[in-house]
Amino acid sequence: MLKQQVAQAVIETALKTGGDFAEIFLEDRRNNNMMMLSGKVEMANSNRLHGAGVRVFAGTRSVYVHTNDTSEAGLIACAKRAAAAISAKTDYQAQQLAYSQCENVHIIKELPSQVTGARKVEKMRAAQGVINTFNEIAQASINYLDSEQRVWIANSEGLFTSDLRVYTRFSVSAIASNGTENQSGFFGPGGMQGFEIFDRHIDPEFVARKAAKMAVTMLHAPLCPAGQMPVVIDNGFGGVIFHEACGHSLEATSVAPGNSEFCGKLGQKIAADCVTAIDDGTMLNEWGSENIDDEGMKPTKLVLIENGILKNYMIDKLNARKMGMAPTGNGRRQGYMFAPTSRMRNTYIAAGTDGEAEMIATMGDGLYAKSMGGGSVDPSTGKFNFVVNEGYWVKDGRIVHPVRGASLIGRGSDILMKIDRVGRNMQMAQGNCGSMSGTVPTNVGQPMIRVSSVTVGGAK
Amino acid sequence: MDQFIQKLLTAAKESGIEAAEIYVSQSDSFRAMCQHGEIANYTVNNSCGLSLRGIVNGRMGYSATQAFDDEAIDMLVAGVKESASLIEDDSVEEIYQGDENYPVVDNYNPELDNVAEEDKLKLVLDIEKKTLSADEKIAAATHVMVSTASSSVRLVNSYGLDLYFKDNMAMAASGALAKDGDKVASGSFRKATRDFNELCADEVSRKAADEALFALNAAPIPSGTYRVIIEKGAMSSLLRVFSSVFSAENVQKGMSLLGGKEGEVIASEAVTLVDDPLLPGGPDSRGFDDEGVKSQTKNVVENGVLKTLLHNLKTARKAGVQSTGNARKNDYTSPVHVAPSNFFFKPGEKDLEGLMADMGEGVVITDVSGLHAGANPASGDFSLLAEGYTVKDGKKDQPVDRITVAGNFYRLLKNIRAVGSDLKFTGSSVCSPSIDAGELNIAGK
Repeated sequence: MLKQQVAQAVIETALKTGGDFAEIFLEDRRNNNMMMLSGKVEMANSNRLHGAGVRVFAGTRSVYVHTNDTSEAGLIACAKRAAAAISAKTDYQAQQLAYSQCENVHIIKELPSQVTGARKVEKMRAAQGVINTFNEIAQASINYLDSEQRVWIANSEGLFTSDLRVYTRFSVSAIASNGTENQSGFFGPGGMQGFEIFDRHIDPEFVARKAAKMAVTMLHAPLCPAGQMPVVIDNGFGGVIFHEACGHSLEATSVAPGNSEFCGKLGQKIAADCVTAIDDGTMLNEWGSENIDDEGMKPTKLVLIENGILKNYMIDKLNARKMGMAPTGNGRRQGYMFAPTSRMRNTYIAAGTDGEAEMIATMGDGLYAKSMGGGSVDPSTGKFNFVVNEGYWVKDGRIVHPVRGASLIGRGSDILMKIDRVGRNMQMAQGNCGSMSGTVPTNVGQPMIRVSSVTVGGAK
Repeated sequence: MDQFIQKLLTAAKESGIEAAEIYVSQSDSFRAMCQHGEIANYTVNNSCGLSLRGIVNGRMGYSATQAFDDEAIDMLVAGVKESASLIEDDSVEEIYQGDENYPVVDNYNPELDNVAEEDKLKLVLDIEKKTLSADEKIAAATHVMVSTASSSVRLVNSYGLDLYFKDNMAMAASGALAKDGDKVASGSFRKATRDFNELCADEVSRKAADEALFALNAAPIPSGTYRVIIEKGAMSSLLRVFSSVFSAENVQKGMSLLGGKEGEVIASEAVTLVDDPLLPGGPDSRGFDDEGVKSQTKNVVENGVLKTLLHNLKTARKAGVQSTGNARKNDYTSPVHVAPSNFFFKPGEKDLEGLMADMGEGVVITDVSGLHAGANPASGDFSLLAEGYTVKDGKKDQPVDRITVAGNFYRLLKNIRAVGSDLKFTGSSVCSPSIDAGELNIAGK
């Protein structure tokens, strides 16, 4: 824990050489990871992360120094090192800190650290029971993880606050095999919740069945034809395409240095009229939600795109200075080893008005991407690549058979303009997003959408 | 730290942990990035993590911490005991008693730790300036970075083993964004070395800019089957993902198709794959692995024949062989897995130009992306966004981008026609020269 007088001393030390903003972030985190393989618990691993980081700004320059030594002497040494590196010419005075506990919006009912390992193992066993009913599943890895992150944040604007973030996730990765070939399926729901997540939100048997079915279906699927075609992308993890191909390009990390294809486009049309996209940190107990961000800001619901018009970027404190705009509550980091920067939270395309059956019936020949895998994007050019984990071939508007080996490639800005249907049922799915400030939990989401033409990479 | 280690070993013994091992990882790093002529990001890290693993009733439990107070000792010991009580893996676990002799590997360059911060900052600013001025079409320099890091590992166990190694590395990188009218393309280059004087702003900026400029006029090519050379950088990325299929751990878990293939031909005769933890100057050269087993050099594949899988103590015992010294932890908190050390295709005779001349017509792939999702080690299938250029009459011709190259790693191994001579380690321990991959499917326009 961080004492107020220590925080004040650290901030004042950090500003001694002329910085105009200083911040300390202290973290104490307990992680618990468990894995069951072939019905046996193979791993049960707990660890405690502990450390603090001091950040100083002078104008748009920033310095970040972090350490495990959170004694007063250790933190002051850290602040001195930061001060020595920033040396600037300002006469900024730190405010007096005033502690205010942030409002705990995302109520946790059962802290994972209070739950025995045996009860966690029971959940994995329930999933294994379902896996055992699938003959073609050669191997399944069932993972349980929980994390309790306590943070204390103080800065030279007088902020001093603390928060507890609790995460629980349960995932199944199944491999179907016919002896010479393997195909895999994955499903991994989670939330900003404690062990109560298993009461309503996560049914281990459902998770296992979904992963196993995906693997088995793909084992029997022929290769996907390649070329330009219409593609329908289902809800849930389908939102990864917006996350990767557009979301990252709307983060200040890309926009502030001019590395995004959406630079200077606020107020302009960047997507089809039917597209509204949102980044929301306030959704109750969701995987990407927050009580405060990692710079101590209250959470927001941010409209990124409204009816095709670009409304907002996601901005952290440092990039706010560079862009001359206000921060938006998107300052996030994996932990004390990273300085925060602008990151997504729960990011989704909002529900529209189109019917799901109609959009497939009227697409002609193309691909129905029921379940997307991961992908990557170059934010400066918007070029992306996504894998389709579970795909189906559509002929004359009818789903005819599963296909494997498909990927979607293109440019974010092109895809946004080519969305011609947006369905009614928005769903989210959980991901771990990696970027400059480490890996943070984010939700992706969308209703079923249709893109009139995409390059499908296939093995055929 | 010595005191903490002793206290912890004593506490572990008193609590009934039969054999215990302490793994301490220490790292100090510096990174500076710049933007528009000023240092925009300056990060200094020093961190230390410790993990305890130990055997209780034949099962191995794990626990780790970054806090080093008395509470941490109680938490570590209790954590190991709970963890061991939950584990159901029947494999025999052991804490290693130690080898007689360990090879001496000295990769640590003390001079690197003495480089003044001022020199590092000067270099990063210089790289940005030179990237921007490389050509009038370069619109921005991105991710311009200089970093240095030193790390150490100490492994102590209740049998009296006490091993230590220290390593360091410096890196410089630049990205360039080229624009010409509506056309936009990016390029990047990074260099890693233990000698700071080898980092040169001219080289890093020039190579990043050249890649972007060349890609500016890139376009997809028609879909079809092409003769393909995978250039060293792209092939290194591919090998990095698929190196996991040589791990006995993945084989035993059914996550690799190489089970029972030792002694069989799994690749073309041109292919020899080496795992060499003793490689002088290698990025992952070290005298012992993460269980304390001494390091050794071996051919994993020799002229196309699978000679051995990579093993740690647990997988070796299961398979009835000796550990190959390939126990690795992802970080100090992680369980012991199996991973290669310096792992590479043994270089052949011809350089890239020579391979291109032999191919005549085809495509050279210089970059692949989307590996974390588009490459599946379980099946060997890959489908990756790629960039490169066409080859005409054995010479570099037109730049290509927005294509997907698809295939299967196991088939690729068998189809390799030639391995190039251009092996060069650039910071990552899994590395490949350029290879002539035979035919692959490309999806474009």
